[in-house]
Amino acid sequence: MSIARFSPFELLLLKSRSQVDTATLLLLGWVLVHRQHVSEGQRRRRLAQVTAQFRHGHELGPVMSIAHSQDLHAIQLAAEVVRKECSKERSLSVMHQAITVATDDGAISLANHYILRFLADLLNVAPSTLATLFQELTGKPLRPPEDPSREAYWQAHDPEHYAQKAKEAAEDAEREKAARAQAEQQQRAKADKHQEKKQKQQEKQQQKEEARQAKARAEQARAEKTHEEHARAERARAEYARQEQARRERQRQEQARQEEAKHHHYRRASSPPPPDRTTRALAVLGLTPGASKTDVRRAYRRMAQLHHPDRFYSESEHQVALASARFQRIKNAYDYLMQTY
Amino acid sequence: MRDLYQRLALAPDANDHQISRAVARCANSALRQDATAVLAVAPHRETYDTLHHTLSDIGRLRARLGLTHGAHWQGDVANDFSLPPDNAISRHDELVDRVSHAVSLYNRWRRLRGPWLLITVFTVGAGIGLALGFALSLGFGVG
Repeated sequence: MSIARFSPFELLLLKSRSQVDTATLLLLGWVLVHRQHVSEGQRRRRLAQVTAQFRHGHELGPVMSIAHSQDLHAIQLAAEVVRKECSKERSLSVMHQAITVATDDGAISLANHYILRFLADLLNVAPSTLATLFQELTGKPLRPPEDPSREAYWQAHDPEHYAQKAKEAAEDAEREKAARAQAEQQQRAKADKHQEKKQKQQEKQQQKEEARQAKARAEQARAEKTHEEHARAERARAEYARQEQARRERQRQEQARQEEAKHHHYRRASSPPPPDRTTRALAVLGLTPGASKTDVRRAYRRMAQLHHPDRFYSESEHQVALASARFQRIKNAYDYLMQTY
Repeated sequence: MRDLYQRLALAPDANDHQISRAVARCANSALRQDATAVLAVAPHRETYDTLHHTLSDIGRLRARLGLTHGAHWQGDVANDFSLPPDNAISRHDELVDRVSHAVSLYNRWRRLRGPWLLITVFTVGAGIGLALGFALSLGFGVG
């Protein structure tokens, strides 16, 4: 077994006079890092105030820098130490300190909502106890955290964005309306001109007819009748042509829509497999997204050793079955990752 | 809070184009609306991503500490951010292992230091003597 180097937090823990105090310090630092609108100096001062009675005997600087780096291994180690060594009273006092650090003179941030609840679960503090503790310390009830994955949250917290969006939409609508009005006017003007022309033509023809009337009065009645009939037929033909064109246009639109729908359907059917699967496979091996191939191989070897069914040979058959199920899962995840990497 | 990336089958570092395609593909209209309100607006997405990162960390911690079924871990968050809990490797046990290993190495070194020192001194002395003898014999040979 090769021995890896000790991480900064492990060294700190080994040097500390009281491991629980050091671990609690890191967890409080983690809460402090997630407070908004606070400077680094204020954070350190606050941490020093709250933990004045701790007996760790080292500087706060390294703890805060570890908390800033959000090193999950360190936080996990601290959580394990705290869980192992805290009595009931001690865990209540740690909860007390965490709430103080998370909220004093300000609202609790969303991340801290979840961190406090994580600490409460870690320290076996029941929800009702946490609620009363919070109420006593801050004078406000502990509400469930808001949900920024919903639009309602942003409508409440970012009204400027929505006001701007509404304004833009209104402007767009107005512009569109103006454009439409203009187009209509143009069309009407064109139609008017057309009618005038027609009237003029008719007048001209009438004049001609009058001249012709002078020539041949007897033929007048018939001539007028034929002319009228002719005009009616022409109008009917124009109407028919217009209808035909509209029908053709509608048909073309429908076809386009159907084609689009088909395309859409095709795209939906051939959607790629969710990238989520890689994340889940990595999680089975206890890795985070972005792990390298060597990491995967190493994690697989360790997990395979840990969960190999042969290890449970001396225990009950049930244990062996459970282990082989686990082993199969690990092996599947590993095979999938080796294919994709 | 829900994990919109997971629900849209996206990676958390997806770009705008991938997001818009996933949103267009999504069949749930409410989810589509929320995703456009949160992920398509840069400042909203930034805030969401920060919290998403923290929550993924907490989910991972809970999985490793066996707290995926805690009383305070319920609803959407627990649904979307929980991981399979069977890879519980105790960091504290690991630390204890490593410290005990280091201690045993140190003890072995302390115990074997005497004999090893004697052997080293003897070999170094023998080496120097040999080298000297060789040089002298070469000198005589030349002279």
